[in-house]
Formats: sequence, structure tokens, C-alpha cells
Amino acid sequence: MSDDDRQIERCNGTAREFCVATHPILTVDHPMSNPQSPPPLSEIAGQSGTDPCDVAEGAMPDLVFGDLSQNDEQWVRSHTLTCRYCAGILDSLEEVCSSLDACNDDICEQAARSVPAPHIAMGVPEARYGFSDSPVGDVLVAATDDGVCEISYLSNHDRYDILREIERRGFLVYEKPAAVQPAVDQLREYFAHQRKEFNLPLDLTGVTPFTRDVLTATYDIPYGKVKTYGDVAELIGKPRASRAVGNALGRNPIPVVIPCHRVVLSSGAMGWYTGGPEIKRTLLGIEGVRYSPAVADSSQATLTLG
Amino acid sequence: MPVGYSTPDARDTSRATSSVPDKCLFTNVVERFGNEVFRFCCQLTGNVVDADDLYQETLLKAFRAFDRLPLDANHRAWLYRIASNTFISDRRKMSRVQPISDGLAESLSASQTDQASALDARELLGEVETFVQALPPKQRVALVLRKHHEYGYAQIAEVLNSSEAAARANVHEALMKLRGAFAHRLEV
Repeated sequence: MSDDDRQIERCNGTAREFCVATHPILTVDHPMSNPQSPPPLSEIAGQSGTDPCDVAEGAMPDLVFGDLSQNDEQWVRSHTLTCRYCAGILDSLEEVCSSLDACNDDICEQAARSVPAPHIAMGVPEARYGFSDSPVGDVLVAATDDGVCEISYLSNHDRYDILREIERRGFLVYEKPAAVQPAVDQLREYFAHQRKEFNLPLDLTGVTPFTRDVLTATYDIPYGKVKTYGDVAELIGKPRASRAVGNALGRNPIPVVIPCHRVVLSSGAMGWYTGGPEIKRTLLGIEGVRYSPAVADSSQATLTLG
Repeated sequence: MPVGYSTPDARDTSRATSSVPDKCLFTNVVERFGNEVFRFCCQLTGNVVDADDLYQETLLKAFRAFDRLPLDANHRAWLYRIASNTFISDRRKMSRVQPISDGLAESLSASQTDQASALDARELLGEVETFVQALPPKQRVALVLRKHHEYGYAQIAEVLNSSEAAARANVHEALMKLRGAFAHRLEV
């Protein structure tokens, strides 16, 4: 067994698939891989009632693009040796092709100088993202020109899903850690107990008006204090909407900075959290709000303000 | 930590030029194919100003439709197709306002042939370019793809949503028209 054979076997495909995979030029429409190739031009031209000049002329565009088989090309070229009419056509076609090349070179030169950056070309704003470590695992931080638009826990969210979601809000997403450095710094200070308030512009593009109201009300809950879902519902003037408030907070794109972890159940239990109850417990712990970890179901953990 | 193209799905580098990993962002697609699509736009429109517009329209359409694209789609072919369709439909709209017909282009080049000997090669190139601009858009797309992007007729047919025979006919027709318009001057 030769090396190639072994490789074909490894590919677990046919020899042809192997050739196509290793020699990209052999695409399906390449003459070499076309199983039923047309009859040679010499044969067509030899049929009675056929004008060889017609055959030659018809094949010339394929010839100048290199689409003819070697035999067919030879036949056309030898025909042009004997026929001045066809020789003229072939010459001029080759000239036309080379002037097309020259046009193309010009255009490509211009194009290479001026490829517009996508966000400029499209008029679509950018969102830049970076990463930060934290006591609750790595977080992804993204910001637009208007402010921070996303903070996500990578411990339980797929990075790609987060970024696709930002694209769906209409932003072109680029990794540019420097652009989110201020937010990352302030997050680190918060986790190190050195910051109680964030001083960051926020971008809530793509957030529904109701959710925006909920997030705005939640934003004002001070460090180390908690409110219930019902409290927030009342704050936005919709006292019966506490369940909807819970859903809206679940869609908070900027946790920690918009402190949805400070909203708890009216029973005093901690309630659900986008990053998982452990993260909510940790964040509240940083702020001095203690939940007893003894209770098995942590979302039912009882509150002791400390 | 780059996303998308460096995921483990992308480890098969032999296919990297044509295929893209399942999980990628729109920005990854533009980073990868933006330059060549812009060049394609330039070749179709023949100038950078119109190419900017075509490129913008192409990217915006692609951005909006990105969600509906199957995960295993061929992003490169998809962008070429959007650019071609946009170009063709824009030309159609434009021709309603300001008709650019074959006839016009032929008479244009015919009237100028009288001074053929006075024109230098550069001017001639400009005219070839103008003539190519005036080709019916499908022929233009087919010619650019075959001539400058090494597309086979099957791929051109896919882009134009036509048969392979029609794709071939479009390329041949464009080339023969060009020859008809310029042959006698190119021989000088």
C-alpha cells in the first residue's frame, strides 16, 4: 500500500474526493473531473454539413479562458494556421482579453487602496469587546460609542452566542480590549471591594421599553441594599407586574453594573439569577448581604441583612 | 481571544479557503472576504465610487440576512451572489431612468472609432471599460467572474441562478461583443 493509498483510506472517501480535497483546483466543474466530456472538436468539425470555422469560432472564448482540453486547443490552433479569418478572430479575442486584464489591474489597484472599513462602508456602529477575570469567573465586556452594552458571565454563556446577540442588536462586533478597559477596571475595583458605584455610560440598544424601565429603576438600588421584584414593579408604576419584572431582569444585558442581583423575592429568598444563584450570592456577599448557604436549594436561601 | 475562525471547528486548514466554521460572526465573514468582495464590486461597477455603494448595499443585505443563513453555508459564494444580484437589480432600476442599452454603447464606440489612430492605449482601455460597463448586467457579472475570479460555469450559473449553458452563453456573448466593438482597433 502506497502512502497515497493510506491517506485515501484515512480520508475515508473515494480517491476522487481525496484528489479534490488535496488539489483544490480539481473542482467539480473542472474538465478533468467531468465524467462525460463532450466529443473532441476535431470530430465535430469533421461531420458533414459542419463548417469547421463555426466550430473553431464557437470554441474560442473557451480557449482564451483556458477551458478547452489540450487536444481541442491544439485543433483550434492548427485550424487558425490554415484559416486567416479564424486566426484574426483568435488574435483579437486574445487582445480583448489582455485589455480586460489591463482594465482589471487598474481597478484592482484602486480597490486595494480604498477598501472601506466595514462599519464605515455599511454605516453600522461597532461594538468592541474584551474580557476580565473576576471572583465569579471570566466575564465578557462589550461597549459601543455610547457606552457599555454587554457584560456576560462566560461560566454559563457561550461567547459566540453572546457576540451573535450583540450583532442582532445591529452592531459590528470586534475584539478591542482597550475600548472596554475603563469598564474592566471598574469591575475589578468592585470585586476588590474598592468601588460601590459605577461611573460608566451605558448603551441599552435593543432593549424593550418595559425592560428599559425596569433596568433604570434597578440601577438606582444602592450598594448593599436589596429590593423585591414587587418593589421594582411599583417603582415603574406597574405594581402587578412583579413576574414581568423578574423576566425583564433576566434579560439584563449589563449585570453587576445594573445591579439586578439586588432584586430578591418578597419571601426574602434570593430568587433566580442570570449567572446562576452562586454568582448572585457572591455579589450580594461582596456588598455585605449574607444568604445562608445551608439551605439546599439556594434560590430559597433565607436573607439576613448584615 | 479571537472568536469564530479559531474555534476547533476550523482546524481543517486545507478547506479553510472555501469553507468557514459553523460558528462565526458576521464580522469574521467580512474580515475574511470583505477585500475580495470589494474588488469584485469595483470590477462590476468599474469605479470606486459606485463600488462603495454596491459594497455597502451588499454588506447591509448580508448583515440583515445573516441570521437566516444556514450554519454550514458557503459565506464567500453567498456574498458574491448578493453582490451580483444587487448589481443586476440596481442596473435594471437605473436603466429605467437612464437607459444604457447595447445599441447606445455600440454607437458610442462606433462614433469614436473614427479617431482611432489618435487614441493612445490608455484611452482605448478607458473605452473598453466603458463598453464593458454598458454590457447587460448579467453578461457583465458572468464575464467578471469567469475572467477575473476563475469561476467555472457551474459556479457562475449558481450566482446568476441560471443554467450552466446560459452562464456560458453570457460569457461568450460578452466576449464576442467586445471583440466586435474593438477588434479592428486592437489590431492596429
